[in-house]
Amino acid sequence: MTRVRLFSVALAVCCSLGSFAQAQKKPTASPMPTAAVVLPQPVPAVKPKELSLVRVNVTGQPYDYARPWQKKAPFSKRALGAVLPKNRVLVTADLVANQNYVELERAESGEKCGADVRVIDYEANLALVEPTDPKFLDGLTPLQLALDTVVGDRLAALQLEPTGALVVTEGLVTTVQMTRYPAELGQFLTYRISMSMQYRDNSYTIPLVKNNKLAGLLLRYDPRSQVLDAIPAPIIAHFLKEAESNNYRGFPSAGFSFFPTRDPQLRKFAGQTGKPAGVYVISLEPNMPAAKAGMQVGDIVTNVGSNEIDQNGNYVDPLYGKIEFTNLITARAFAGDTIPIQIQRAGKPMQLNLVLDHRAAQDYVVPPYNGDQPPGYVVLGGLIFQELSRQYLREWGANWQKEAPQRLVYMDRFQSELFPEGNRRVVVLSQVLPANSTIGYDEFGYLTVEKVNGKEIKSLRDLAEAAKQPLDGFIKIETEEDPKQLELDAAQVAEEAAALQQNYGLPSLERLE
Amino acid sequence: MRRCLLLLCFTFLVATNLLAQPNGPIQKSLVRITSTEIEPDYKAPWNSGGIQRGVGAGFIIDGGRIMTNAHVVSNSRYLTVEREGDPNKYPATVLFVAHDCDLALIQVAAPEFSKGMAPLTFGGIPELESTVSAYGYPIGGQRMSVTTGIVSRIDFQLYSHSSIDSHLAIQISAQINPGNSGGPVMQNSKVVGVAFQGYSGDVAQGVAYMIPTPVITRFLKDVSDGRYDRYVDLGVTYSKLQNPAQRRFLGLKDDDRGVLVNNVIAAGTAGKVLKAGDVLLTIDDHPIASDSFVELEGERVEMPEVVERKFKGDKVKLDIWRDKQPMTVTVDLQPLWPYLFQGHHYDVQPRYVVYGGLLFQPLSLDLMQAYQPQDLRLRHYFDYFVTEQIYLEHPEVIVLTNILPDPINTYLSPYKGGIVDEVNGHKIRTLEDLAKTLAEPADRLVVNLIGDGPPLVLDPKEVESARERINRRYNVVKEQNLTEQPPPKPAGSPPPDEEQAR
Repeated sequence: MTRVRLFSVALAVCCSLGSFAQAQKKPTASPMPTAAVVLPQPVPAVKPKELSLVRVNVTGQPYDYARPWQKKAPFSKRALGAVLPKNRVLVTADLVANQNYVELERAESGEKCGADVRVIDYEANLALVEPTDPKFLDGLTPLQLALDTVVGDRLAALQLEPTGALVVTEGLVTTVQMTRYPAELGQFLTYRISMSMQYRDNSYTIPLVKNNKLAGLLLRYDPRSQVLDAIPAPIIAHFLKEAESNNYRGFPSAGFSFFPTRDPQLRKFAGQTGKPAGVYVISLEPNMPAAKAGMQVGDIVTNVGSNEIDQNGNYVDPLYGKIEFTNLITARAFAGDTIPIQIQRAGKPMQLNLVLDHRAAQDYVVPPYNGDQPPGYVVLGGLIFQELSRQYLREWGANWQKEAPQRLVYMDRFQSELFPEGNRRVVVLSQVLPANSTIGYDEFGYLTVEKVNGKEIKSLRDLAEAAKQPLDGFIKIETEEDPKQLELDAAQVAEEAAALQQNYGLPSLERLE
Repeated sequence: MRRCLLLLCFTFLVATNLLAQPNGPIQKSLVRITSTEIEPDYKAPWNSGGIQRGVGAGFIIDGGRIMTNAHVVSNSRYLTVEREGDPNKYPATVLFVAHDCDLALIQVAAPEFSKGMAPLTFGGIPELESTVSAYGYPIGGQRMSVTTGIVSRIDFQLYSHSSIDSHLAIQISAQINPGNSGGPVMQNSKVVGVAFQGYSGDVAQGVAYMIPTPVITRFLKDVSDGRYDRYVDLGVTYSKLQNPAQRRFLGLKDDDRGVLVNNVIAAGTAGKVLKAGDVLLTIDDHPIASDSFVELEGERVEMPEVVERKFKGDKVKLDIWRDKQPMTVTVDLQPLWPYLFQGHHYDVQPRYVVYGGLLFQPLSLDLMQAYQPQDLRLRHYFDYFVTEQIYLEHPEVIVLTNILPDPINTYLSPYKGGIVDEVNGHKIRTLEDLAKTLAEPADRLVVNLIGDGPPLVLDPKEVESARERINRRYNVVKEQNLTEQPPPKPAGSPPPDEEQAR
């Protein structure tokens, strides 16, 4: 589910237009752990005095993937955290990623306290922080979750004035649908809210409430269209439940990509029988639940649990009406759960039992996010080697898919086709620092490394090891692109290392994590 | 260089005092060429395309022939030529056109046309900093304008007419604007170049280019056998050998000589002779410096210039260094076809197949410019067609470029932009393969596109029943065009002869 699905993105938008009224008439029981179903309530009345919020001040300092030996300049972010039971404060992962220092501040008194990040989920964009002083949150009533938000509800966004006064902005939930979160992995349930909101006090994480209960956290806001996307309470509840365990596993995935079966010719080709329904499996991630359970490309998935899947990939949710079935997996199930999936293979019905699992960032050839991990690098005589990652490509800015070297973007996008065996990284000769060893090489950059000293390179560690075994005193680097080969004098590289470090201010010539 | 402005338009001179002109009476040699062109429509390739008119310059050379730029006469359907003091417009025909070096020869059949005209002759490469004069009618003026400038730089440049070929070009400081194209650039009464391209004013000023005489004389020699064979190419990529460690690793002397072969294009003639990792030391006995320059007639020029001056079927001798041993090899030079796909094409109609409202077209620069696709895979196949040798598996990359909506294809829009890999199990290597496979009787058609994704399935009976409806609704006057541009041949074979006398 975490794969980029070229075709189903547009689909997710369509399914939100599905009839909600119909869903209310025909609630479908779900066998999976589900959030408590409560009938929709009208407009919430916010009673500000009772709300439990603290300011969260964060000094962030991300790693500089363009100069992997250093961090970028620190900058501060201010946000509002929602106080939860057990002395914890909920914020977005964006806020606390790559943080150097987190501080909580009582809005009414200005009292401050340091805090630690306890759990962080970069994919769901959620994190829990805990004050170092266990008494710091005393007197604040923890927020309960409102899990029953539906289209038509009004939610209130909470912000604070510099004085500490609460600012409440209300908006209407117009859509509940699956969208991509900032990590761009899979689809998650999202509330889309029409709201005219002003930014105040650099609010980064903004809680949304309904009837004084936490209904969601701000995911993104577009001031031009005045559309706010929120991480919904059911995703927060999933995160909190998973966070209870000592071994946080993340949101589960089934590991297959699909395509709608609206085309009667495609249904006929796949041998689909009965009424038109289900989605066509177009690819499987290696070693993920669907592949392990024996799913095949060309299968038609007709049911997930007891939920029927329509030709667009939607099921009828008791709360939201038609919504993409991936919600049954990401929001309603946990890693380790077994989920029965009905398929048709060449017209024959079959059941596959998928044991859901989380696909970790490090299981990708090009990791989709690096969390708070420092980027690895190796410097050889002025040649800088790094592993290709989405974080590296994001150094080209918001428009990185067009601005970054297109060959590397291609490798990221089509990694599962290019490296079906997985279990490796792509090592890139990212730049050349001019030095005596690299005379004549300074025009090269963004080359992918195939071999070093005759040994195949599938990770930075491979490269560091191979570089230690020169061929007749030379380090030979073979690249996939022209010039295909570069050689360094191993003795000169060693000799020049200290001067190079000093000249370019490199604290170390390698970082292998 | 893509921002280069192609220069067009030239009119006629009415001058009184010929003696004041240091290069002689140019009016007796200049002509004004009016071309009516049809611009092919890659988005509706069954249409004949839009009609445009352009005006350019030319000059008389020996044999009553008129030399001009290829881009002045490209895609022309009707050509007329005018000369000074003569109210007639003379119909003209294209003798030869070389799109890879932006030169053309045309001729006027009427015998009275050449009466009193004085053919121009060619000089050599002018000295740096020497003065040259460019003749033309910039910005559509009615009277001839002469601009002078100096020779600023002699270098390899991309010729933006094809936008894939680079040849020697001379940068001059004479003002050249739209209206100078095809006009002569003179020094001491000899033609030293043909004005052809420059930058628009917001990129660079006082930078204009002319085609120098080595390129012109090569063109004239190439066509002397009655046909134009286009440039030949070694078909290798190479890098400089300036790194001392790399030189020692390869066992080379410290003598600043040689370039490293990176990649040998299998479809090229060097494919069977050279290998990646070879070092080229001399080319036709000219030593190759480690920065890839050779000395030719006293000038330092880039190594390919030696090959540039040769012709199809000529040989080039290379002293190489392979596995620390010297060797001498000879390469039989031929044009290299896989590159053609990345350049502009002229004087041909787009090739395509329409089937069930699905429009299939071979990938080309013209196609990319017409559709501006954002698809990453498509752009990769375009950019890496030669370097990743994609042409070995797909000599043509067949793209489902558009769908003409109809009930039989209404669910197929997600497949748009896909690259055809197989149809009913047949590998599709060319547009002909596709047309042939689609014509074979079958119960259903299963089109596999490259990459993850479901197959595109069509029922031939439905397609047949919708055929007339689709053709009528979208005015598809012809369902396919396979032949008006010969397809690339399999790897290794000579390219199609595209530029022939007409």
